[in-house]
Order: sequence, then C-alpha cells, then structure tokens
Amino acid sequence: MSWDQVYELLISILTTQTGLPNLVFKQVIMLAIAFVFLYLAVAKKYEPLLLVPIGFGIFLVNFPLVPLMGVGEHGTPELIRAFYKYGIEWEIIPCVIFLGLGAMTDFGPLIANPKTLIIGAGAQLGVFITYIGTLVFGFTLKEAASVGIIGGADGPTTIYLTAKLAPHLLGANALAAYSYMAMVPLIQPPIMRLMTTPEQRRIKMRQLRPVSATEKLLFPLIAAILIILLIPAVAPLMGMFMFGNFMRECGVVKRLSDTAQNALMNIVTIFLGLSVGATMEAEKFLSLKPLLIFGFGLIDFVVCTFGGILTVHIMNLFLKEKLNPLIGSAGVSAVPMSARVSHAEGLKADPDNWLVMHAMGPNLAGVIGSAAAAGMFIAMFQ
Amino acid sequence: MMTRHSTIWLARAVALFLAAALLAVLLQPGQARAFVVGTDFEKPKPEFSREGETVVAKLIPRAKSSSVTIDFRVSGARLAAVRGVDFETAARPEVNEKNFKSALFDIQVDDVPVGGKIRVSILSSFFTRSTAFYVYNPRLQPPWTDAQAENIDHPERVQELVVTVADGGPFDADGAADGRITLTGGPRDSFWGYALGTLFIRFFGIFIVLSVLMVGILFSGRIFQWLEGRKSRPGAVGAPTAGAAASEKPAASDTRSVASAEVAAAIATALHLHIVRRRTTQPQPLSSSSTNAWALSGRSRMMDERQQQARRTYRSRS
Repeated sequence: MSWDQVYELLISILTTQTGLPNLVFKQVIMLAIAFVFLYLAVAKKYEPLLLVPIGFGIFLVNFPLVPLMGVGEHGTPELIRAFYKYGIEWEIIPCVIFLGLGAMTDFGPLIANPKTLIIGAGAQLGVFITYIGTLVFGFTLKEAASVGIIGGADGPTTIYLTAKLAPHLLGANALAAYSYMAMVPLIQPPIMRLMTTPEQRRIKMRQLRPVSATEKLLFPLIAAILIILLIPAVAPLMGMFMFGNFMRECGVVKRLSDTAQNALMNIVTIFLGLSVGATMEAEKFLSLKPLLIFGFGLIDFVVCTFGGILTVHIMNLFLKEKLNPLIGSAGVSAVPMSARVSHAEGLKADPDNWLVMHAMGPNLAGVIGSAAAAGMFIAMFQ
Repeated sequence: MMTRHSTIWLARAVALFLAAALLAVLLQPGQARAFVVGTDFEKPKPEFSREGETVVAKLIPRAKSSSVTIDFRVSGARLAAVRGVDFETAARPEVNEKNFKSALFDIQVDDVPVGGKIRVSILSSFFTRSTAFYVYNPRLQPPWTDAQAENIDHPERVQELVVTVADGGPFDADGAADGRITLTGGPRDSFWGYALGTLFIRFFGIFIVLSVLMVGILFSGRIFQWLEGRKSRPGAVGAPTAGAAASEKPAASDTRSVASAEVAAAIATALHLHIVRRRTTQPQPLSSSSTNAWALSGRSRMMDERQQQARRTYRSRS
C-alpha cells in the first residue's frame, strides 16, 4: 500500500467515520442550547425531572453522524428514534403519563365544589386566543392548535396533541409548555393582583364538604362516561386518566396504583424527555417558528390566567356565596403549582385565608378542560 | 428558579420580538409569512384513479388528518384526464392558498362540440354548502374568477359543484373553440370563516362539556349525601336536619366523630389518672428512732408527698 493510498484512506475515515469534520455551526448552537437547559435544570432546579432528559436528548442528537434519530438500512429505527416512534408517534407515553397523573390525583376538592369546573373551561381562553394569533402569523390550522394548547399548562396534553397534528413542532412546544409551567409562580401573581381588588382577595370561602370514598370511587366512571360520550376523540387521554384514578380510589390494587404513580411514571418520563429533546436537531429547530412559539406560549399563559379569573368574576355576579377570584388563576392545569400560587396570594391578602383546597378544584378542572380542548382540536382535524 | 427581575426582562424581550414580527407580517405579509411558515407540511398531494367515466382524486386536504375523495364527472363530452396543479404556478397576492384546502386541479375534456357547452361535476363529502369553485385562467384579468358553480345537496352529506364551461369561453384555459376544454381551478372555502367559526363553537363546546360534567357531579353528589343522611339517621347524635346544613356536614361521619370524641375523652381521663398514680411515690413507713437533721428533712418531705397524694385523690374522686 503506497503512502498516497494510506493518505486517501485516512482522509476517507476522517470525513466519513468521524464527527469532527462534519460538525456545523448550527449544531454548535444547539449544543450550547442543550448546555443552557442542563444548567437551568441542574444548577437552578428548573423542572429538572423533564429538563435533564430533554437537555440531554438535545445534546446527544446534535453531534454529526450519530445513529440516534435516523432509520437504518432495513427500516429499523435507531435508538432514540425507536423511543420516539413507539412512545410518542404511537401516542403511548402521553397516555401512560395521564394514567400516572390519574393515580396521583385526589378529585375530592372538585367533587365537593363542582362549580369550579366552569373556571377550568374559562381558563382555556388563552388556547383559542393564541390559536388566532398564530394563524395571523402564517401558521397552519394544525400548527396553531398545537401551539395554542401550550396555555393549558399540561405537558402530556401538549405533547399528545402536537405529536398528532404538528410533529415537527414537538420539541419547541414541549419545551415552551414545561418552561412556562415552571414559571407559573412568576407569571401569574402580577395578573392576579391586576385583576382583583384587595377586598376580593380577602373573600373567605366556606369549608368544602367531606367527600365519601364511594363518591370518589364512582367519579372516574361518571366523568369518563360523560366526557367520552361528548368528545370521543379524547378517550385515550381521559380514559387512561380516569382508569388511573379508579385504581387509586378502589383501594384493592394498591400495588398497581403505586406503580402507576411512581415507577411507571418515572420510566416514561425518561423516554419522553429524551425523545422530545431528540426532535430538536439543528436543521429542524433553528428557525423563527420556535421563537414565535415561545412568545405565543407566554401570551397564552397570561390569557389563560386572565380567562380563569374573569370567569370567577362573572360567576360571582350570579352566586350567593362568592368565590375568591384568586382561585381563577388555578384554572390552568399546572397541578398543584397554580393552586399553591392562588393560596400564597390569598395569604398575602389575609393570613387566615386558606385557599389551597378551594384552588385545587379549578386546578383539576383545568386538567380536564385542557384535555377537552385537545379532544376538540383532534376532532376538528379528523 | 428564575428571578423576578429576569422574568420581567424575558417578558419584555418576548413582547418586543412579537411586536417586531407582527410589524413584519403587516408590512411584508407574503415574505414574512413565507419565512415563518417554512416547509409547507400540509400541501395536498392528490392521487388519481379512474372508475368508468369518473376520475377519483384521493388526498389529505389542508387542516385534516384523514384522506377524502373527490369525484370528477363530465356531461356532454368525455373526461380525458384530471391532474393536480401546484398552487405556486397560480399564486397571486389577492388569493390565499389556505382557502383552497383540497388543492387545484387541471380538468381536461375531449370530444366537446366545437364552441359548445359542457357541465363539469365535482362531488365530495368534504365540501360544504358554502364551498365555491374558482377558476384560474392567466389570460384573464383578474386571472381568478368565481365560476358561480351550482352547489347541490346529495345524501350522506355529499355536495356536488356543477360548473358550466363553454369551449373557447373564459373558463377554457386554451382559449380556443377547438373541441377540447382545459379547466383549471379548485374548490374554495373561506379559511378565516372556518377558523373563527369553529373556534367559537369549540370554545363554548368546552363550557358545555364541563357544564354537563358539573351537573352530573352535582346530581350524583346530592344522591350520595341523601344516602349518607339515611344511613346516619338511626341513632345519630346531632345529625343535621336541613338540606343545606346536610351539605356542609355529612351526617354519618359527624355522628361517628361525636361518639369517638366522647370515647377519646374517657380514655384520656383514665390514662391521666393511671399515670398520676404511677408517678406519685408510695409513702414510706416512719421511724422515730433517728432525730438528726437529715432524718427530720426526709420526714418533712414524706409528709408533703402524702398530703399531695391525698389532695389528688380527693380531686379525682370529686
């Protein structure tokens, strides 16, 4: 073998089998973005359960020539592509997360005060306002719907809907949804104070009635019947959610309920985060759309908070026993963060005003409301 | 967590960015939108098949996830072929591509009586009563024209658009009365009308769904409270009588809590007496033999303890 041949072989190996000569500037930017998210998650404890796997997913797929998100010669998906295909494309992971969420949820506050369901509906205002806003900016109807749902503050619902309608926006939408969910304590209070007077913030609500175990047991069945009959498209999400809750409340499958709440939830969170992060390859992600999505996501959250509080004000016009409008902001489904924010703001106005259980009602209604909105959008595009 | 200060800056940056983007869209709508939209993932890609005299197009229209079929028929001549047309070739600033959800078609008709008229029928369950058919002819000014198609209802929600075309007339793309007609155009629906209409319906739809759920929970809650009230009635202590009061206090659980409070108080008293007795030291027998200071002090302490014990016993009995 001559020196020329050795040189040619060496160059061939360097250019086709090593990453360094193939590294492009866009990938370097994406690696920097990955580091930012990992830093926020690790150093600042900013939604670490999701941002660590998402950040690492971004980190891994933005190296050149990596066999992670492609499809092999025989059509076999590569490692993370397989997680994505079977977990997200097949819509399994978001539904399994809903199963875990159902197993974690105590619907007692919602059953004790069903009026708060209306607040959960009112808090979906931002979803529809953002939908119009994004259409003005040239998004398609499907893209607009998937961006709009970010304001519902429900990560799995956002991922479920986006994977169904606009999979190319999955990374940006998921990242925006989880980022703003973590920022609920900063985004909501100024809007809450702006939309309420000190007297309204001091309104004390009557203690919730205790809810019997039988009522809690039958709730998932009743809710599933009504919601699935009205919006069949939401059956995968709502069905799993109510199944998880039924396992919790029936009390005879404690091991299953415990697995759904903990081990299963943790496992799917790892695959969800990695898969979502891996969709953010430089070629697909670096454009104006993700920036617009982040912008609209913030507006979405603000309008949803506004919508929830406005709904309480409207309800108070007709109710004898007034609701504290601070619980309206909990209509976004960031459980239990937004309920805690309502409680904290209530305590600032009156140290004896304990709102957390009252705010859990709209908070849970928000979960159902955002899933219903997602179902409406899915039905619209069928 | 982010600080309040950084959040304010983030909010300002987002507001500024959106304002700039909106300005760009308003000033240069075509270019800005094209920049935002990027790849058109929803472009319909029709596939054609022939069933006798009918050509069937199968495609996934814009804003849909499932495929639809569109049937093309001609009366008064022979339908030679139908093919899809890329909208970019017919794009004009006054026409929004999104209004044409099911693509553009080039319909070629042969064996037309020279200078005669034919009727082109386009049928689909995807069309609505407000669907129109727009014809594109670059030789005309403006090139896009509403063909004033008849919109006919059929069973199973099928709508038929019927366009009358004259050989060599304004809708004939070749412009010549030569026994052949080329009709270019597509079914048109109002994008914004659909987007806003469906938005309005679906937003209130969520209210309706959650209101139905609310009524369901209220109704079942009443039944459960009534059943609980019935269970608690025999032997209930201080069970609520009024309906409103009953909603605040579940009778069964309250009855149990009152009874258990009495039991708890009795147990607590018994425990207290037991512990007090155990804590109190037993009096020692007195011996008067020693009279030193230590003995006198000890005797005095024992007397005090006896006195205390006597007082406690008396109190507990009274």
